[in-house]
Amino acid sequence: MISCVNLRKGYRVGHQTHQVLRGINLTIEPGDKIALLGRNGAGKSTLIKQIGGVELPDSGRIVRHMTNSWPIGFSGGFQGSLTGYDNARFISRIYGSELSAIRAFVEEFTELGSGLKRPVQTYSSGMRARLAFALSLAIDFDCYLIDEVILVGDQNFQHKCHYELFEKRADRAMVIASHDLNIVQSVCNRGIVMKDGVAEEYPSVREAVEAYVQM
Amino acid sequence: MASLRQGWNIQVRVIGALMLRELTTRFGRENIGFLWIMAEPLLFAVLVGILWRFMKGPIEFGVDIVAFVITGYLPLVLFRTAVNRGVKSFTANGGLMYHRQIKILDLLLVRFLVEFIGHAMAYLFIATVLGVLGFFPVPYDVGFLILGGLYYGLFTFAVMLIVASLSEMSEVIEKIIPVTTYLMIPFSGAFYLVSSLSPNVAKFLLYSPPVHGMEMMRLGVFGPSIDPHFDYIYPLMVSLPCLALGLVLCRMVRRRLVIE
Repeated sequence: MISCVNLRKGYRVGHQTHQVLRGINLTIEPGDKIALLGRNGAGKSTLIKQIGGVELPDSGRIVRHMTNSWPIGFSGGFQGSLTGYDNARFISRIYGSELSAIRAFVEEFTELGSGLKRPVQTYSSGMRARLAFALSLAIDFDCYLIDEVILVGDQNFQHKCHYELFEKRADRAMVIASHDLNIVQSVCNRGIVMKDGVAEEYPSVREAVEAYVQM
Repeated sequence: MASLRQGWNIQVRVIGALMLRELTTRFGRENIGFLWIMAEPLLFAVLVGILWRFMKGPIEFGVDIVAFVITGYLPLVLFRTAVNRGVKSFTANGGLMYHRQIKILDLLLVRFLVEFIGHAMAYLFIATVLGVLGFFPVPYDVGFLILGGLYYGLFTFAVMLIVASLSEMSEVIEKIIPVTTYLMIPFSGAFYLVSSLSPNVAKFLLYSPPVHGMEMMRLGVFGPSIDPHFDYIYPLMVSLPCLALGLVLCRMVRRRLVIE
């Protein structure tokens, strides 16, 4: 279980503070698939960063009783000046996992071949997405935090992601910030709509989607 | 107890991983790789040593001038590089904060350790080479050399923490730091012996903690003939509060840090 209790977060812009999260309460149970819906700038990414512990709240707290991935997206989680292999090595070291297993998984999943020997900053965004996904899937987490942008890419890769995430890891919890209503409706069991810094949970995913569409 | 040990294990793993990352990103794997870390301080120290040799002759304060300059200059270069490496290191490494087990302090500690170890290696290397050539004495007491190095390092780390946090809070500070580290030269004890100064100046300069570390190191290398002046307690009374202040500032910056 991961609980957010009354989370507040604002960013300073000049002399003003722009409040992005105004008291978020959310509990993620094992196995939950939570859809985070909301317009651009509604605070979806900010909330995901809070849950992942990337940024710290102004007030409120997060109680963690299960492990969570870092927010999976294009940036973050890896170092641009290092090669794909070096990044895999770094991740395996800090998470204390077997390097050979991670290596094999990354090679197989990304299909980047010798691209893994190049610095990540030379990658296209599609290649980055593959690597980011592979690295986070290679480590075993109870809860995956997914920023939608990552669920793009060619057909073949989408299938792979779908299989790895939603079939092989069907028992894990996930928080998915998404505008893709198809994925949301087929995968999630809880729907949350973010608006004005507050997260409102609807009784069903369908109702959440309807509320979001009408926004 | 188990969780304490677990925490310790994670800490050690993270520090190790960051250390290797720092070495690969900075020096790469080409040619001499991480041995480059010694190259810069070595070049600096040797060039300045040679310059002094020609300007002032072979002996300064009763010891070999090249050895004297090097024992003073290497720690000073350490101070300057370490502090400058701290500047803006939070923003530059925001990506690391994606992994919750990495703390901002780990990163600063690693950067400091890489500099400290690199400069210590340079010190050892240069002392050995010059020693063989007869320009560097066999250390009088290695214990004092190490102790002085630790005092000097502690102060450097404390200043690095403070500067690293302040550089995130204000543009102005970020810009003026490189200049101010030059102002440290007289307060580092690098180019004089306290015993050679007039009593008033000596008393004033002994308010600066690194001077104590420097005098200890020189006692360790040259022996009591240089009449070293230092205190064991005073430098700690300055460095430790500075360290505490640095830790508090780091925490403040981390809370407000915005990560892409």
